[in-house]
Amino acid sequence: SGSPLCGHNGVDWIVVLKSRSALSLQFFSSRLRNNIMAVLSSSSNILLLLLISFLDWLSTQGSAFIMGRDHATSSAPVEPHITECISRNQETFRCWWSPGSFHNLSSPGALRVFYLKKVLPTSEWIECPEYIYSNRECFFDVNHTSIWVPYCLQLRSQNHTYFNEDDCFTVENIVRPDPPVSSNWTLLEISPSGLSYDVMVNWEPPPSADVEMGWMRIEYEIQYRERNTTNWEALEIQPHTQQTIYGLHIGEEYEVHIRCRMQAFTKFGEFSDSIFIQVTEIPSKESTFPLTLVLLFGIVGILIIIMLIVVSQQHRLTLILLPPVPAPKIKGIDPELLKKGKLDELNFILSGGGMGGLPTYSQDYYEGEPWVEFIEIVAEDADTGEKDNQGSDTQRLLSQGISHHMNISFPDDDSGRASCYNPDLPDQDTLMLMATLLPGQPEDREASFNVVERAPAPERGERPLVQTQTGGPQTWVNTDFYAQVSNVMPSGGVVLSPGQQLRVQESTLATEEKTQKKEKKHKWSEDTEDNKQKELQFQLLVVDPEGSGYTTESNAWRISPPPSSPMPGEGYQPIHPQPVETKPAATAEDNQSPYILPDSPQSQFFAPVADYTVVQEVDSQHSLLLNPPPCQSPPPCLPEHPLKAIPAMPVGYITPELLGNLSP
Amino acid sequence: MPGNIRSVSFVVLVCLLFCSRLTSVGATPICTNAHAGCHVLSLSNLFDRVIQHSARMHGISNDLHSEFEQYFLPSRNQIGRVSRNCHTSTILTPNGKENAQKMAREELTEVILKLLVAWRDPLWHFHHSMAHYDDFNNFSSNKALEMSDMVHELRKGVEKVAEKMQVLGITSNTVNSLTSPEALLPSESAEWRLMKDYDLLYCFRRDSNKVQNYLKILKCRIVPEHGC
Repeated sequence: SGSPLCGHNGVDWIVVLKSRSALSLQFFSSRLRNNIMAVLSSSSNILLLLLISFLDWLSTQGSAFIMGRDHATSSAPVEPHITECISRNQETFRCWWSPGSFHNLSSPGALRVFYLKKVLPTSEWIECPEYIYSNRECFFDVNHTSIWVPYCLQLRSQNHTYFNEDDCFTVENIVRPDPPVSSNWTLLEISPSGLSYDVMVNWEPPPSADVEMGWMRIEYEIQYRERNTTNWEALEIQPHTQQTIYGLHIGEEYEVHIRCRMQAFTKFGEFSDSIFIQVTEIPSKESTFPLTLVLLFGIVGILIIIMLIVVSQQHRLTLILLPPVPAPKIKGIDPELLKKGKLDELNFILSGGGMGGLPTYSQDYYEGEPWVEFIEIVAEDADTGEKDNQGSDTQRLLSQGISHHMNISFPDDDSGRASCYNPDLPDQDTLMLMATLLPGQPEDREASFNVVERAPAPERGERPLVQTQTGGPQTWVNTDFYAQVSNVMPSGGVVLSPGQQLRVQESTLATEEKTQKKEKKHKWSEDTEDNKQKELQFQLLVVDPEGSGYTTESNAWRISPPPSSPMPGEGYQPIHPQPVETKPAATAEDNQSPYILPDSPQSQFFAPVADYTVVQEVDSQHSLLLNPPPCQSPPPCLPEHPLKAIPAMPVGYITPELLGNLSP
Repeated sequence: MPGNIRSVSFVVLVCLLFCSRLTSVGATPICTNAHAGCHVLSLSNLFDRVIQHSARMHGISNDLHSEFEQYFLPSRNQIGRVSRNCHTSTILTPNGKENAQKMAREELTEVILKLLVAWRDPLWHFHHSMAHYDDFNNFSSNKALEMSDMVHELRKGVEKVAEKMQVLGITSNTVNSLTSPEALLPSESAEWRLMKDYDLLYCFRRDSNKVQNYLKILKCRIVPEHGC
C-alpha cells in the first residue's frame, strides 16, 4: 500500500485497503489530518479544507448511515452496512441494513444485526431484538431502547463481521418526529386593496410524539408555494401548533405542508400532507369605498383651495366685504380734534383762530389731493380793473382768463398768483370773490351788476382784510360746518348765508332790500347782528343742481358780519372762500377767513338764498368760474375748455373725474 | 469637549444605575409567605422560566459542540471511538420515558440538581482552557462563559423550584439534602480533568439535554396547564 496520496485511481486503492485495514487507515488518516493541520495551520484555509475534506471522504467511505446515504455512490463492491437508524418518538427506533453488493447475503438470515449498548464499561453485543426481514429492518422496542446511551451496530454474516465505528449513535440524536396531523387554515383578513390576504394555519402535533408528558419538545416548520411552482417558501421554525402566513395573493392557489423536529436538534421528520389554500375575490362592497374616498378628497381639496383664495386675497376681500369707513376729516385739521368732545378747539381753529387759520395749511398739504381746486382771488389790477369796471360787473366778477383771476389765498399760499403778494402791502386791488355762484336770472343779474358797480368803488380803498377780521368770527360759534354763499359782492366778497334755517330770513331780507335799499342796510345789519351769534362755518359746495342751491348774483351778497367788525358800516366783509372740494363727503373747512364787508347796504340784494351753486368753469389757474364770461377775443379764453359743454345743461355739477380732466 | 464628556459620563452613570437595577430585577425574590409588597411567582411561571433557561443552555452547548467538531475536524462520529465516559455517568439518571415517569418528583428534582452541580466546576475550567485555543474565535469563548454562568443560574432556579414545591406540599422534604454541592460528588472531582475538551463538550451536551427533558417532564406532571 503506497502512500495514500499517490495513485490516480483512488477507487482501486480503497478496494485494496478496505478489506484489511479499514480501521488502521482511518486512524492513520485522522492522525495524518491532525499533523497536516498543525503544519498548515498558518497557510490558506481553502487549501486546508480541500485537503482535509478529501481525506475525510477517503476515511468515511464505508459508513454512510450517520451522515446520510449520499456518500455511498461508488461502483465498487460495497460490503453490508447499516443504512439508517431512525427514532420517531424517542422511545423506540429502527435500523435498516443493506447487503451492499454482496447479493448472496441478501437472503433473510444471512446477515444478522448485533448492537452494543455502551452502558457499562464491559458490554457485549446483543442481537437485534426484532427482525423485520421484509424491510431488512431491526426494530428496537421500548424495553431495548435507552436514551442518552451510545449504541453501536454491526452486521455479522456467517464468517464475517462488518462493523463501522461510525455507526454509533445515541437515540436522541436520531430522532425524526412524525409529521403533524389535521392541519387546517382559516382566513384572517383581506387587505384593503383586495389583492392579498392573511391566513392562519393550525395543526396537531404528531400523535406518536408524547408532547403532553413533555418527553418530546417539537418545533415546526411550515412551507408553502403556489400551486404550480417548484420552490417552497419556508417560514421561521417555531414550537407552536399554529402559524400565520401573510401576503398571499387573491385568486391563486397555495400548497402548504409542515414538518417537525426536536428542539435543538437538526433532523427533520417527513412533511405532512399538503393542504390547499385559495381565496377568490370577494364581490366588492368596496366599490363604494373608493367613491367615498374620492368624494372626501374632493371636498378636502376644495376646502383647501377656498382657504388659499381667502388667505391670498385677504385684502381685497376685506375691502369688498367691509369697505373702509372714512374717518372724519377736515383738511388741515388734526383728526384728533374731530373726535368727540373737542368741539371748542375745532371751532376755534375753523374760525380762524391763530395766525391766519390752520397752521398746517400749506402748499404741500394739497398735493395729495389733486382734484382740490381751491379758489383763488387775486387782487385786481387797477388799470385793467378800471376798464372792466365800466363793463358789467358780472364780467368783472367773472373775469376771464389769467388777467382776472381772483386769488383768495392765505398768506403763505403761493399757487396761481404773484409770489410777491403780500397781504400787508397796501394794495389797491380788492379781492373779488369768484365764489360758487351761478349766474342767475337776468334781472337779478342786473341788479347785481348794479350792486357790483357800486361796490368796488368804496372797496378800492379797502385793504384786503385778511387778518383784521380774525377776531370776529370767534364770537359766533356754532356747530354748523357749512355755509352757503348767497351773493358775491362787486368788490369780490362773498356773502354767506348762515345756514338752512336762515334761508327764509335771508330771502325775505333780500327781497326787501331789493326794493328798499337803504332801509335794508339797517335791517340787514340788524339781521346780521341777529345772526352774529350764528357761526358761519361754510364751505362752498359745488353740488346740488336742484333746488335752492343757486343763488343769483343778487343773492350773492350775504352779510354775515361779525359784530365786532372794524367796519360796521360796511355790510360786507371780504370773504375768503375755502378751497372747493368736489368730493361729496369732503367737508374740509379750513378757516373762517375774514369777510368782505359790503360797502353799501343799498347794494344788497336778498334774493332767495341758495345753499349751493355750481362751478361753471375752471380756468387755467385752477380757479372756479361760476359764471364764465362768453368767449371773446382775448386769448385767455379757452374755448376748448371741456367745461363749456356743461352750460348746455344749466344745472349740473362737476364730478371729480371731470374736474380731474380740467387740471392741466 | 468637556460638555460632551460630562454629558456622556452622566449618561453612563445613569445607565449603570439602571442596568444594575435591571439585572437585579431578573432575580425576583420568591416570597414564601406572600408578604405584602412581595411579588409572588406561581409555580407554573417558575417552571416556565427554568425550562426556558435549560433550553437555551442546551442550545448553546449544542452549538459549541458542533463548532468544536467543525473546527478541529475529528472524524464525524466519535461516539464509538473511545469508550467515552463522562464524569457524570455515575449519577443514576432515567434513560427512558417510562423510567422517568416512574421516578418520583423528589428524585427527579434531585437528579437534576446533581447534574447541574456536577457541571459547575468543569465548565468554569473549560472556559479558561478555551483561551489556549488561539484560533478559536471569541464568539465560542463567550459561549463557553455563558454556558458556565447558565449552569450556575439554572441550578439556583431549580433550587427555588424545589423550594416552592416543598412549600406547596408537592414534594416532601428529601430534597433538602442537596444543599451542599461538595458532598455530592467527591470522587469525581478529579475525573473531569482527564477529559479532553471535546469529550467534555459532548458530555455536557448530553447532560443538558437530560436536564431539559427532566424539567419538562416534571413540569408537565405537576403543573400541566400551559405548553404541555
